[in-house]
Amino acid sequence: MTMNLFNQFLSPTFLGLPLIAIALMAPCLLYPSPAPWWQSNRWTTLQNWFIGSFIKQTLSPINTKGHSWALLLATLMVFLITLNTLGLLPYTFTPTTQLSLNMAFAVPLWLATVIMGFRNSPTHALGHLLPEGTPTPLVPILIIIESISLLIRPLALGVRLTANLTAGHLLIQLVSSAAFSLLLSQTTAASLAVGLLLLLTILEIAVAMIQAYVFVLLLSLYLQENV
Amino acid sequence: MPQLNPAPWFLILVFSWLIFLALMPPKILTHQFPHEPSTLTAHKPKANSWTWAWQ
Repeated sequence: MTMNLFNQFLSPTFLGLPLIAIALMAPCLLYPSPAPWWQSNRWTTLQNWFIGSFIKQTLSPINTKGHSWALLLATLMVFLITLNTLGLLPYTFTPTTQLSLNMAFAVPLWLATVIMGFRNSPTHALGHLLPEGTPTPLVPILIIIESISLLIRPLALGVRLTANLTAGHLLIQLVSSAAFSLLLSQTTAASLAVGLLLLLTILEIAVAMIQAYVFVLLLSLYLQENV
Repeated sequence: MPQLNPAPWFLILVFSWLIFLALMPPKILTHQFPHEPSTLTAHKPKANSWTWAWQ
């Protein structure tokens, strides 16, 4: 019966039409483009502040050549944080629980940073594979280890986001079904479970935002290394 | 795990990148930042001591 718990992550289809497309459109629908007025409304002002401060924070450690990634990083951040937080509402589907989506973003973007690094300064990029001050006998092993850690980055990036969100949603479903089934027979246990559920929901809101941030932050770090 | 079902993988990739490249950037780009931040001309203000007005 544990397989039933994972059914919430089945990419939803209705009459053969994939509903994940509608779920992916949600961020576009929630952020109306700002009008060219001097004084914008509260929602637009909030977005503006968020995008401005996020880009300032993310791009300050990166040198000027990497600043062309600003739009991509800002879009990615807004996209991921919206998808993650919207998925916490009841009866919504979180596209970022799909490994396919997260890998679809992680692999090309990581590969882009690596290719940029190898094209612009191949020696510097290869130099990352050997930390400074390594004793000579350890050099071959360390190069292998560093190469593996480089190649595992996109996998880690995608799986981190997937696993965090999937685990959170799974826990919420488990605890809520426990609370519901215990409601009439053991009300005290059920109320404890509801308390746990409240704390869990708060945690999941935090995790949703943090994981989106971590994804983009790590990408900016990979960019920083290669630019 | 239903996430590992390879059937919708390509479709999800195409859809998500389509929306990420075509629909989201115009919304982010239309945000304007009229005050250009310039780190070179910024100077730290003098540290004035501050206290409540009634003390």
